[in-house]
Amino acid sequence: MTIDERALAERVEESRDLHSTSLRDTRVALDEMVELSREPSARAVDPEAGHHVAQETGRLLSKGVMGGGALAAAGFGAVLVGLMSTPAFAAQTTDVQMLQTAASIENLAIATYGVALTLPFIGGADAVPVVKTFVTTTVQQHKDHLQAFNSAITTLGGKEQKDPDPVLLGVVNKAKPGLTGPAPVVALAIQLETGAAETYVAFTSALSDVTARKVTTSIMGIEAQHAAVLLAVQALVAAGHPEYITLPPPLAMLPAAAGSIGFPDAFYKTDQARPATEGAVK
Amino acid sequence: MTADRHDSNPSEIEPIRISEAELGAMTADMDEMHHASLPALRDAVDEWKQLHHDARASAGKVVHTLASRRRFLIGSGVALGGLALAACGSSSKSSPSSTSAPAGNGGGTKSGALTGDLAIVALAAGLENLAVATYQGGIDAATKGKLGAVPPAVVTFAQTAQKHHRAHADAWNAILSSAGKSKVTGVDKTVKTGVVDPAFAKVKNVGDLANLALELENVAAATYLNGIGVIEGKAGIATAATIQPVELQHAAILNFVLGKYPVPDNFAKTTGARAPSDALG
Repeated sequence: MTIDERALAERVEESRDLHSTSLRDTRVALDEMVELSREPSARAVDPEAGHHVAQETGRLLSKGVMGGGALAAAGFGAVLVGLMSTPAFAAQTTDVQMLQTAASIENLAIATYGVALTLPFIGGADAVPVVKTFVTTTVQQHKDHLQAFNSAITTLGGKEQKDPDPVLLGVVNKAKPGLTGPAPVVALAIQLETGAAETYVAFTSALSDVTARKVTTSIMGIEAQHAAVLLAVQALVAAGHPEYITLPPPLAMLPAAAGSIGFPDAFYKTDQARPATEGAVK
Repeated sequence: MTADRHDSNPSEIEPIRISEAELGAMTADMDEMHHASLPALRDAVDEWKQLHHDARASAGKVVHTLASRRRFLIGSGVALGGLALAACGSSSKSSPSSTSAPAGNGGGTKSGALTGDLAIVALAAGLENLAVATYQGGIDAATKGKLGAVPPAVVTFAQTAQKHHRAHADAWNAILSSAGKSKVTGVDKTVKTGVVDPAFAKVKNVGDLANLALELENVAAATYLNGIGVIEGKAGIATAATIQPVELQHAAILNFVLGKYPVPDNFAKTTGARAPSDALG
Protein backbone atom coordinates (compact mmCIF):
# COMPACT_ATOMS: atom_id res chain seq x y z
CA MET A 1 0.00 0.00 0.00
CA THR A 2 1.01 3.60 -0.23
CA ILE A 3 0.59 6.26 2.32
CA ASP A 4 1.29 9.92 2.58
CA GLU A 5 3.89 9.88 5.34
CA ARG A 6 3.75 13.62 5.72
CA ALA A 7 0.00 13.50 6.25
CA LEU A 8 0.44 10.69 8.77
CA ALA A 9 3.06 12.65 10.65
CA GLU A 10 0.75 15.65 10.79
CA ARG A 11 -2.09 13.53 12.13
CA VAL A 12 0.14 11.99 14.75
CA GLU A 13 1.35 15.43 15.76
CA GLU A 14 -2.21 16.69 15.87
CA SER A 15 -3.15 13.75 18.04
CA ARG A 16 -0.27 14.42 20.42
CA ASP A 17 -1.29 18.05 20.72
CA LEU A 18 -4.85 17.09 21.44
CA HIS A 19 -3.76 14.57 24.00
CA SER A 20 -1.38 16.97 25.70
CA THR A 21 -3.91 19.76 25.83
CA SER A 22 -6.58 17.50 27.20
CA LEU A 23 -4.34 16.01 29.83
CA ARG A 24 -3.07 19.43 30.90
CA ASP A 25 -6.62 20.72 31.32
CA THR A 26 -7.67 17.60 33.11
CA ARG A 27 -4.70 17.67 35.44
CA VAL A 28 -5.61 21.18 36.52
CA ALA A 29 -9.12 20.03 37.29
CA LEU A 30 -7.85 16.95 39.06
CA ASP A 31 -5.47 19.00 41.15
CA GLU A 32 -8.38 21.13 42.28
CA MET A 33 -10.37 18.01 43.00
CA VAL A 34 -7.58 16.55 45.09
CA GLU A 35 -7.18 19.81 46.93
CA LEU A 36 -10.89 19.87 47.66
CA SER A 37 -10.71 16.35 48.97
CA ARG A 38 -7.82 17.17 51.25
CA GLU A 39 -9.31 20.39 52.51
CA PRO A 40 -10.67 19.72 55.97
CA SER A 41 -14.14 20.87 56.75
CA ALA A 42 -13.68 23.90 58.92
CA ARG A 43 -17.11 23.67 60.36
CA ALA A 44 -19.50 21.07 61.57
CA VAL A 45 -20.52 18.68 58.88
CA ASP A 46 -23.86 19.16 57.23
CA PRO A 47 -25.38 15.70 57.32
CA GLU A 48 -27.53 16.34 54.26
CA ALA A 49 -24.64 17.62 52.24
CA GLY A 50 -22.47 14.76 53.34
CA HIS A 51 -25.09 12.26 52.35
CA HIS A 52 -25.53 13.98 49.01
CA VAL A 53 -21.81 13.93 48.41
CA ALA A 54 -21.64 10.24 49.21
CA GLN A 55 -24.49 9.45 46.88
CA GLU A 56 -23.20 11.56 44.05
CA THR A 57 -19.67 10.32 44.44
CA GLY A 58 -20.90 6.78 44.26
CA ARG A 59 -22.95 7.59 41.21
CA LEU A 60 -20.02 9.20 39.47
CA LEU A 61 -17.77 6.32 40.25
CA SER A 62 -20.34 3.82 39.11
CA LYS A 63 -20.64 5.62 35.80
CA GLY A 64 -17.16 4.50 34.94
CA VAL A 65 -16.49 7.58 32.91
CA MET A 66 -12.80 7.28 33.53
CA GLY A 67 -12.29 4.05 31.72
CA GLY A 68 -10.72 5.46 28.58
CA GLY A 69 -8.11 3.19 27.14
CA ALA A 70 -5.97 6.11 26.08
CA LEU A 71 -5.66 7.23 29.67
CA ALA A 72 -4.67 3.82 30.89
CA ALA A 73 -2.14 3.58 28.12
CA ALA A 74 -0.73 6.91 29.18
CA GLY A 75 -0.14 5.59 32.69
CA PHE A 76 -2.79 7.91 33.98
CA GLY A 77 -5.10 5.11 34.98
CA ALA A 78 -3.36 4.39 38.23
CA VAL A 79 -3.68 8.02 39.25
CA LEU A 80 -7.35 7.98 38.49
CA VAL A 81 -7.90 4.72 40.28
CA GLY A 82 -6.29 6.30 43.31
CA LEU A 83 -8.49 9.32 43.03
CA MET A 84 -11.55 7.20 42.52
CA SER A 85 -10.91 5.50 45.78
CA THR A 86 -10.53 8.82 47.56
CA PRO A 87 -14.20 9.42 48.45
CA ALA A 88 -14.51 6.20 50.39
CA PHE A 89 -11.25 6.89 52.12
CA ALA A 90 -12.35 10.43 52.82
CA ALA A 91 -15.60 9.23 54.33
CA GLN A 92 -13.69 7.02 56.73
CA THR A 93 -11.27 9.81 57.47
CA THR A 94 -14.13 12.14 58.24
CA ASP A 95 -15.59 9.58 60.61
CA VAL A 96 -12.26 9.25 62.35
CA GLN A 97 -11.94 13.01 62.62
CA MET A 98 -15.37 13.32 64.17
CA LEU A 99 -14.61 10.55 66.62
CA GLN A 100 -11.30 12.18 67.49
CA THR A 101 -13.08 15.46 68.08
CA ALA A 102 -15.54 13.65 70.31
CA ALA A 103 -12.66 12.04 72.19
CA SER A 104 -10.98 15.41 72.57
CA ILE A 105 -14.13 16.79 74.17
CA GLU A 106 -14.18 13.85 76.55
CA ASN A 107 -10.54 14.44 77.41
CA LEU A 108 -11.31 18.03 78.25
CA ALA A 109 -14.36 17.11 80.32
CA ILE A 110 -12.32 14.62 82.33
CA ALA A 111 -9.61 17.17 82.95
CA THR A 112 -12.04 19.92 83.84
CA TYR A 113 -14.05 17.85 86.28
CA GLY A 114 -10.74 16.71 87.70
CA VAL A 115 -9.81 20.30 88.41
CA ALA A 116 -13.27 20.93 89.85
CA LEU A 117 -12.84 18.06 92.27
CA THR A 118 -9.77 19.77 93.71
CA LEU A 119 -11.89 22.75 94.69
CA PRO A 120 -13.17 22.63 98.27
CA PHE A 121 -16.71 23.56 97.30
CA ILE A 122 -16.95 20.80 94.68
CA GLY A 123 -14.79 17.94 95.84
CA GLY A 124 -13.83 19.00 99.36
CA ALA A 125 -15.38 19.35 102.75
CA ASP A 126 -17.50 22.30 101.72
CA ALA A 127 -19.11 20.48 98.84
CA VAL A 128 -22.75 19.56 98.57
CA PRO A 129 -22.58 15.75 98.83
CA VAL A 130 -24.86 15.13 95.88
CA VAL A 131 -22.82 17.48 93.73
CA LYS A 132 -19.57 15.81 94.73
CA THR A 133 -21.04 12.41 93.94
CA PHE A 134 -22.34 13.71 90.66
CA VAL A 135 -18.98 15.11 89.61
CA THR A 136 -17.14 11.97 90.63
CA THR A 137 -19.58 9.73 88.79
CA THR A 138 -19.64 11.98 85.78
CA VAL A 139 -15.87 11.87 85.46
CA GLN A 140 -16.01 8.10 85.33
CA GLN A 141 -18.75 8.21 82.73
CA HIS A 142 -16.68 10.54 80.59
CA LYS A 143 -13.73 8.19 80.94
CA ASP A 144 -15.91 5.38 79.65
CA HIS A 145 -17.06 7.57 76.80
CA LEU A 146 -13.48 8.42 75.93
CA GLN A 147 -12.56 4.78 75.86
CA ALA A 148 -15.53 4.01 73.62
CA PHE A 149 -14.66 6.77 71.18
CA ASN A 150 -10.99 5.82 71.04
CA SER A 151 -11.89 2.20 70.54
CA ALA A 152 -14.09 3.18 67.60
CA ILE A 153 -11.25 5.30 66.22
CA THR A 154 -8.73 2.48 66.27
CA THR A 155 -11.27 0.13 64.76
CA LEU A 156 -11.43 2.49 61.80
CA GLY A 157 -7.66 2.60 61.63
CA GLY A 158 -7.23 6.02 63.19
CA LYS A 159 -5.04 7.28 66.01
CA GLU A 160 -6.44 7.60 69.50
CA GLN A 161 -7.05 11.13 70.63
CA LYS A 162 -5.29 11.76 73.92
CA ASP A 163 -5.47 15.53 73.96
CA PRO A 164 -8.28 17.92 74.78
CA ASP A 165 -10.23 19.93 72.25
CA PRO A 166 -7.89 22.87 71.63
CA VAL A 167 -10.57 25.50 71.27
CA LEU A 168 -12.60 24.41 74.27
CA LEU A 169 -9.40 24.11 76.25
CA GLY A 170 -8.97 27.82 75.70
CA VAL A 171 -12.45 28.40 77.05
CA VAL A 172 -11.69 26.34 80.14
CA ASN A 173 -8.33 28.00 80.73
CA LYS A 174 -9.94 31.40 80.44
CA ALA A 175 -12.61 30.40 82.95
CA LYS A 176 -10.27 28.82 85.51
CA PRO A 177 -9.36 32.00 87.44
CA GLY A 178 -13.04 32.67 87.95
CA LEU A 179 -13.85 29.29 89.45
CA THR A 180 -14.20 30.69 92.93
CA GLY A 181 -17.54 29.16 93.80
CA PRO A 182 -20.03 26.52 92.74
CA ALA A 183 -21.92 28.74 90.31
CA PRO A 184 -19.11 29.40 87.81
CA VAL A 185 -18.00 25.78 87.98
CA VAL A 186 -21.50 24.57 87.24
CA ALA A 187 -21.84 27.12 84.44
CA LEU A 188 -18.61 25.91 82.86
CA ALA A 189 -19.69 22.29 83.20
CA ILE A 190 -23.02 23.09 81.55
CA GLN A 191 -21.16 24.67 78.66
CA LEU A 192 -18.99 21.60 78.21
CA GLU A 193 -21.80 19.07 78.57
CA THR A 194 -24.12 20.98 76.27
CA GLY A 195 -21.37 21.38 73.71
CA ALA A 196 -20.59 17.68 73.90
CA ALA A 197 -24.21 16.59 73.56
CA GLU A 198 -24.91 18.99 70.71
CA THR A 199 -21.77 17.90 68.92
CA TYR A 200 -22.73 14.26 69.13
CA VAL A 201 -26.28 15.00 67.99
CA ALA A 202 -24.87 16.80 64.96
CA PHE A 203 -22.36 14.03 64.27
CA THR A 204 -25.05 11.36 64.40
CA SER A 205 -26.31 12.15 60.93
CA ALA A 206 -22.88 12.79 59.50
CA LEU A 207 -21.14 9.60 60.54
CA SER A 208 -21.08 6.95 57.85
CA ASP A 209 -19.74 4.07 59.92
CA VAL A 210 -22.55 2.28 61.73
CA THR A 211 -20.49 1.38 64.77
CA ALA A 212 -19.20 4.92 65.09
CA ARG A 213 -22.73 6.20 64.95
CA LYS A 214 -23.95 3.73 67.54
CA VAL A 215 -21.21 4.72 69.94
CA THR A 216 -21.95 8.38 69.45
CA THR A 217 -25.70 8.08 69.83
CA SER A 218 -25.36 5.98 72.96
CA ILE A 219 -23.38 8.81 74.54
CA MET A 220 -25.15 11.96 73.37
CA GLY A 221 -28.18 11.44 75.61
CA ILE A 222 -26.00 10.84 78.64
CA GLU A 223 -24.25 14.18 78.15
CA ALA A 224 -27.68 15.75 77.75
CA GLN A 225 -28.66 14.24 81.09
CA HIS A 226 -25.53 15.66 82.69
CA ALA A 227 -26.53 19.05 81.32
CA ALA A 228 -30.08 18.65 82.63
CA VAL A 229 -28.90 17.87 86.15
CA LEU A 230 -26.41 20.72 86.08
CA LEU A 231 -29.09 23.14 84.88
CA ALA A 232 -31.27 22.11 87.82
CA VAL A 233 -28.35 22.46 90.22
CA GLN A 234 -27.51 25.85 88.75
CA ALA A 235 -31.08 27.04 89.30
CA LEU A 236 -31.11 25.93 92.90
CA VAL A 237 -27.72 27.50 93.59
CA ALA A 238 -28.85 30.71 91.92
CA ALA A 239 -32.02 30.68 94.03
CA GLY A 240 -29.86 30.46 97.13
CA HIS A 241 -30.98 26.97 98.04
CA PRO A 242 -28.09 24.59 97.54
CA GLU A 243 -29.50 22.65 100.46
CA TYR A 244 -32.31 21.50 98.18
CA ILE A 245 -29.82 19.57 96.10
CA THR A 246 -30.52 16.23 97.68
CA LEU A 247 -31.77 12.85 96.54
CA PRO A 248 -34.71 13.12 96.58
CA PRO A 249 -35.09 16.86 96.70
CA PRO A 250 -37.71 18.46 98.92
CA LEU A 251 -40.28 18.63 96.15
CA ALA A 252 -42.71 20.83 97.99
CA MET A 253 -39.98 23.39 98.63
CA LEU A 254 -38.79 23.66 95.06
CA PRO A 255 -39.78 26.65 92.98
CA ALA A 256 -42.15 25.84 90.14
CA ALA A 257 -39.52 26.66 87.54
CA ALA A 258 -37.31 23.89 88.87
CA GLY A 259 -39.64 21.43 87.18
CA SER A 260 -38.63 22.47 83.69
CA ILE A 261 -35.26 24.12 84.00
CA GLY A 262 -33.42 20.92 83.11
CA PHE A 263 -34.84 20.58 79.61
CA PRO A 264 -35.23 23.99 78.00
CA ASP A 265 -35.93 22.80 74.46
CA ALA A 266 -38.33 20.32 72.90
CA PHE A 267 -35.69 19.44 70.31
CA TYR A 268 -32.05 19.26 71.22
CA LYS A 269 -30.20 22.07 69.57
CA THR A 270 -26.94 21.84 67.70
CA ASP A 271 -25.90 25.47 67.50
CA GLN A 272 -23.11 24.81 69.98
CA ALA A 273 -21.87 21.73 68.17
CA ARG A 274 -18.14 21.69 67.64
CA PRO A 275 -16.66 21.54 64.15
CA ALA A 276 -15.98 18.03 62.91
CA THR A 277 -12.23 18.47 62.66
CA GLU A 278 -11.66 20.71 65.66
CA GLY A 279 -10.30 17.95 67.82
CA ALA A 280 -8.90 15.72 65.12
CA VAL A 281 -5.39 14.37 65.57
CA LYS A 282 -3.08 16.52 63.48
CA MET B 1 4.79 0.78 3.50
CA THR B 2 6.86 0.38 6.57
CA ALA B 3 7.10 2.77 9.48
CA ASP B 4 9.82 2.81 12.04
CA ARG B 5 9.27 3.20 15.74
CA HIS B 6 11.41 6.06 16.97
CA ASP B 7 11.19 5.44 20.71
CA SER B 8 13.11 2.21 20.77
CA ASN B 9 16.64 1.12 20.51
CA PRO B 10 17.56 1.26 16.82
CA SER B 11 18.96 -2.19 17.06
CA GLU B 12 15.51 -3.47 18.03
CA ILE B 13 13.55 -1.62 15.41
CA GLU B 14 11.25 -3.77 13.42
CA PRO B 15 9.12 -2.53 10.60
CA ILE B 16 5.41 -2.26 11.30
CA ARG B 17 3.43 -3.95 8.68
CA ILE B 18 0.01 -2.46 8.44
CA SER B 19 -2.51 -1.74 5.79
CA GLU B 20 -3.73 1.74 5.12
CA ALA B 21 -7.23 0.72 6.10
CA GLU B 22 -6.00 -0.65 9.43
CA LEU B 23 -3.98 2.43 10.08
CA GLY B 24 -6.92 4.65 9.23
CA ALA B 25 -9.20 2.67 11.53
CA MET B 26 -6.73 2.76 14.40
CA THR B 27 -6.22 6.46 13.99
CA ALA B 28 -9.94 7.02 13.93
CA ASP B 29 -10.30 4.94 17.08
CA MET B 30 -7.64 6.93 18.82
CA ASP B 31 -9.22 10.16 17.75
CA GLU B 32 -12.58 8.98 19.01
CA MET B 33 -11.09 8.03 22.33
CA HIS B 34 -9.59 11.45 22.72
CA HIS B 35 -12.84 13.14 21.92
CA ALA B 36 -15.01 10.84 23.94
CA SER B 37 -13.01 9.91 27.01
CA LEU B 38 -11.33 13.13 27.94
CA PRO B 39 -14.34 15.41 27.69
CA ALA B 40 -16.33 12.87 29.69
CA LEU B 41 -13.61 12.85 32.28
CA ARG B 42 -13.57 16.62 32.39
CA ASP B 43 -17.34 16.69 32.76
CA ALA B 44 -17.20 14.17 35.57
CA VAL B 45 -14.48 16.06 37.33
CA ASP B 46 -16.36 19.34 36.93
CA GLU B 47 -19.47 17.69 38.30
CA TRP B 48 -17.49 16.28 41.18
CA LYS B 49 -15.95 19.65 41.92
CA GLN B 50 -19.31 21.34 41.87
CA LEU B 51 -20.70 18.72 44.19
CA HIS B 52 -17.96 19.32 46.72
CA HIS B 53 -18.25 23.07 46.38
CA ASP B 54 -21.96 22.82 47.08
CA ALA B 55 -21.44 20.52 50.01
CA ARG B 56 -18.77 22.67 51.59
CA ALA B 57 -20.72 25.82 50.96
CA SER B 58 -23.44 24.42 53.13
CA ALA B 59 -21.16 22.78 55.68
CA GLY B 60 -21.85 23.88 59.20
CA LYS B 61 -25.55 24.06 58.75
CA VAL B 62 -27.41 21.86 61.11
CA VAL B 63 -30.28 19.83 59.92
CA HIS B 64 -32.93 20.57 62.41
CA THR B 65 -35.67 22.09 60.35
CA LEU B 66 -38.81 20.19 59.81
CA ALA B 67 -38.61 20.72 56.08
CA SER B 68 -35.27 19.00 55.99
CA ARG B 69 -36.58 16.08 57.95
CA ARG B 70 -39.46 15.70 55.58
CA ARG B 71 -37.30 15.67 52.50
CA PHE B 72 -35.24 12.78 53.63
CA LEU B 73 -37.82 10.63 55.25
CA ILE B 74 -40.43 10.65 52.55
CA GLY B 75 -40.34 7.59 50.41
CA SER B 76 -37.28 6.04 51.87
CA GLY B 77 -37.90 2.47 52.73
CA VAL B 78 -36.07 0.36 55.22
CA ALA B 79 -36.93 -2.76 57.09
CA LEU B 80 -37.08 -2.44 60.82
CA GLY B 81 -36.01 -5.89 61.74
CA GLY B 82 -33.57 -4.59 64.29
CA LEU B 83 -36.08 -3.13 66.68
CA ALA B 84 -36.38 -5.38 69.65
CA LEU B 85 -39.75 -5.65 71.21
CA ALA B 86 -39.53 -4.88 74.84
CA ALA B 87 -41.07 -7.00 77.45
CA CYS B 88 -42.83 -4.00 78.88
CA GLY B 89 -46.15 -5.13 77.56
CA SER B 90 -48.08 -8.33 77.56
CA SER B 91 -49.88 -7.82 74.30
CA SER B 92 -49.89 -10.80 72.03
CA LYS B 93 -50.04 -8.45 69.06
CA SER B 94 -46.41 -7.65 69.39
CA SER B 95 -43.89 -9.20 67.07
CA PRO B 96 -40.23 -8.36 67.12
CA SER B 97 -39.74 -9.32 63.53
CA SER B 98 -42.49 -7.30 61.98
CA THR B 99 -41.53 -4.55 59.62
CA SER B 100 -44.75 -2.66 59.23
CA ALA B 101 -47.08 -0.61 61.34
CA PRO B 102 -50.82 -0.98 61.37
CA ALA B 103 -52.40 1.75 59.36
CA GLY B 104 -56.09 1.61 59.89
CA ASN B 105 -57.28 2.91 63.22
CA GLY B 106 -59.13 5.80 64.68
CA GLY B 107 -56.35 8.17 64.02
CA GLY B 108 -53.98 6.05 62.12
CA THR B 109 -52.76 6.19 58.60
CA LYS B 110 -55.27 6.21 55.82
CA SER B 111 -54.76 2.96 54.00
CA GLY B 112 -52.58 -0.06 54.04
CA ALA B 113 -49.66 -0.75 56.29
CA LEU B 114 -46.76 1.66 56.45
CA THR B 115 -43.33 0.29 55.84
CA GLY B 116 -39.77 1.42 56.19
CA ASP B 117 -39.00 4.76 57.76
CA LEU B 118 -42.65 5.77 57.75
CA ALA B 119 -43.54 2.79 59.92
CA ILE B 120 -41.06 4.04 62.48
CA VAL B 121 -42.42 7.56 62.14
CA ALA B 122 -45.92 6.29 62.85
CA LEU B 123 -44.70 4.32 65.85
CA ALA B 124 -42.92 7.41 67.16
CA ALA B 125 -46.05 9.53 66.76
CA GLY B 126 -48.09 6.90 68.59
CA LEU B 127 -45.62 6.80 71.46
CA GLU B 128 -45.54 10.58 71.69
CA ASN B 129 -49.33 10.74 71.68
CA LEU B 130 -49.39 8.18 74.46
CA ALA B 131 -46.99 10.29 76.50
CA VAL B 132 -49.16 13.36 75.94
CA ALA B 133 -52.25 11.44 77.02
CA THR B 134 -50.55 9.95 80.05
CA TYR B 135 -49.29 13.29 81.28
CA GLN B 136 -52.77 14.70 80.69
CA GLY B 137 -54.20 11.89 82.78
CA GLY B 138 -51.77 12.78 85.52
CA ILE B 139 -52.61 16.46 85.32
CA ASP B 140 -56.31 15.68 85.42
CA ALA B 141 -55.85 13.38 88.38
CA ALA B 142 -53.85 16.01 90.18
CA THR B 143 -56.44 18.66 89.44
CA LYS B 144 -59.10 16.43 90.94
CA GLY B 145 -57.00 15.94 94.02
CA LYS B 146 -56.51 12.23 93.44
CA LEU B 147 -52.75 12.43 93.92
CA GLY B 148 -52.69 14.34 97.16
CA ALA B 149 -50.61 17.48 97.37
CA VAL B 150 -48.85 18.14 94.11
CA PRO B 151 -45.81 20.42 94.34
CA PRO B 152 -45.65 23.29 91.84
CA ALA B 153 -42.39 21.97 90.37
CA VAL B 154 -44.09 18.69 89.54
CA VAL B 155 -46.94 20.49 87.82
CA THR B 156 -44.44 22.48 85.79
CA PHE B 157 -42.58 19.33 84.90
CA ALA B 158 -45.71 17.55 83.69
CA GLN B 159 -46.92 20.50 81.67
CA THR B 160 -43.54 21.12 80.04
CA ALA B 161 -42.85 17.47 79.29
CA GLN B 162 -46.32 17.12 77.82
CA LYS B 163 -45.70 20.16 75.65
CA HIS B 164 -42.45 18.63 74.41
CA HIS B 165 -44.12 15.36 73.56
CA ARG B 166 -46.87 17.17 71.69
CA ALA B 167 -44.20 18.96 69.66
CA HIS B 168 -42.48 15.66 68.96
CA ALA B 169 -45.76 14.11 67.82
CA ASP B 170 -46.41 17.11 65.59
CA ALA B 171 -42.98 16.73 64.03
CA TRP B 172 -43.50 13.07 63.24
CA ASN B 173 -47.04 13.68 61.98
CA ALA B 174 -45.83 16.45 59.72
CA ILE B 175 -43.58 13.90 58.08
CA LEU B 176 -46.50 11.52 57.59
CA SER B 177 -48.61 14.32 56.12
CA SER B 178 -45.85 15.28 53.72
CA ALA B 179 -45.71 11.69 52.57
CA GLY B 180 -49.41 11.75 51.85
CA LYS B 181 -50.26 9.66 54.86
CA SER B 182 -52.78 10.35 57.57
CA LYS B 183 -51.54 11.68 60.85
CA VAL B 184 -51.42 9.31 63.78
CA THR B 185 -53.79 10.84 66.30
CA GLY B 186 -54.13 7.67 68.30
CA VAL B 187 -51.70 6.22 70.78
CA ASP B 188 -49.50 3.17 70.92
CA LYS B 189 -52.23 0.80 72.09
CA THR B 190 -49.84 -2.01 72.79
CA VAL B 191 -48.00 0.02 75.38
CA LYS B 192 -51.18 1.66 76.62
CA THR B 193 -53.04 -1.55 77.31
CA GLY B 194 -50.01 -3.52 78.37
CA VAL B 195 -48.27 -0.98 80.54
CA VAL B 196 -49.88 2.39 81.03
CA ASP B 197 -53.44 1.43 81.86
CA PRO B 198 -52.53 -1.18 84.49
CA ALA B 199 -49.94 1.11 86.00
CA PHE B 200 -52.12 4.18 85.93
CA ALA B 201 -54.85 2.32 87.78
CA LYS B 202 -52.40 1.96 90.66
CA VAL B 203 -51.22 5.56 90.70
CA LYS B 204 -52.00 7.04 94.10
CA ASN B 205 -49.51 9.82 94.40
CA VAL B 206 -46.93 11.93 92.62
CA GLY B 207 -44.26 9.30 93.07
CA ASP B 208 -46.34 6.64 91.35
CA LEU B 209 -47.05 8.96 88.47
CA ALA B 210 -43.36 9.88 88.22
CA ASN B 211 -42.42 6.21 88.02
CA LEU B 212 -44.89 5.63 85.20
CA ALA B 213 -43.67 8.71 83.37
CA LEU B 214 -40.09 7.57 83.82
CA GLU B 215 -40.89 4.26 82.21
CA LEU B 216 -42.53 5.95 79.26
CA GLU B 217 -39.63 8.37 78.79
CA ASN B 218 -37.11 5.55 78.86
CA VAL B 219 -39.14 3.51 76.38
CA ALA B 220 -39.34 6.48 74.03
CA ALA B 221 -35.62 7.18 74.32
CA ALA B 222 -34.77 3.52 73.75
CA THR B 223 -37.04 3.40 70.71
CA TYR B 224 -35.38 6.43 69.19
CA LEU B 225 -31.90 5.15 69.92
CA ASN B 226 -32.76 1.86 68.28
CA GLY B 227 -34.51 3.65 65.45
CA ILE B 228 -31.41 5.69 64.66
CA GLY B 229 -29.70 2.42 63.89
CA VAL B 230 -32.31 1.31 61.38
CA ILE B 231 -33.79 4.46 59.89
CA GLU B 232 -32.41 5.00 56.43
CA GLY B 233 -33.23 8.65 55.82
CA LYS B 234 -30.59 10.98 57.14
CA ALA B 235 -33.10 13.57 58.26
CA GLY B 236 -35.08 10.87 60.00
CA ILE B 237 -31.96 9.99 61.90
CA ALA B 238 -31.40 13.65 62.66
CA THR B 239 -34.95 14.05 63.92
CA ALA B 240 -34.67 11.08 66.24
CA ALA B 241 -31.29 12.36 67.37
CA THR B 242 -32.72 15.71 68.40
CA ILE B 243 -35.54 14.08 70.37
CA GLN B 244 -33.81 11.18 72.11
CA PRO B 245 -31.64 13.38 74.36
CA VAL B 246 -34.70 15.38 75.41
CA GLU B 247 -36.54 12.24 76.49
CA LEU B 248 -33.49 11.25 78.49
CA GLN B 249 -33.40 14.68 80.09
CA HIS B 250 -37.00 14.20 81.16
CA ALA B 251 -35.93 10.85 82.58
CA ALA B 252 -32.99 12.40 84.44
CA ILE B 253 -35.22 14.89 86.23
CA LEU B 254 -37.75 12.19 87.02
CA ASN B 255 -34.98 10.06 88.49
CA PHE B 256 -33.92 13.06 90.53
CA VAL B 257 -37.47 13.64 91.77
CA LEU B 258 -37.78 9.99 92.72
CA GLY B 259 -34.55 10.07 94.67
CA LYS B 260 -32.70 7.91 92.18
CA TYR B 261 -29.35 8.78 90.70
CA PRO B 262 -30.32 11.01 87.74
CA VAL B 263 -27.82 9.60 85.25
CA PRO B 264 -27.84 5.90 86.04
CA ASP B 265 -26.34 4.61 82.80
CA ASN B 266 -22.94 5.35 81.27
CA PHE B 267 -24.39 4.63 77.85
CA ALA B 268 -27.97 4.98 76.68
CA LYS B 269 -29.73 1.69 76.23
CA THR B 270 -32.08 0.24 73.66
CA THR B 271 -33.72 -1.98 76.23
CA GLY B 272 -37.46 -1.48 76.03
CA ALA B 273 -37.45 -0.14 72.49
CA ARG B 274 -40.79 -0.56 70.78
CA ALA B 275 -41.39 -2.03 67.34
CA PRO B 276 -43.61 -0.80 64.50
CA SER B 277 -45.71 -3.87 65.06
CA ASP B 278 -47.26 -2.09 68.03
CA ALA B 279 -50.94 -1.40 67.49
CA LEU B 280 -51.91 2.21 67.04
CA GLY B 281 -55.32 3.63 67.77
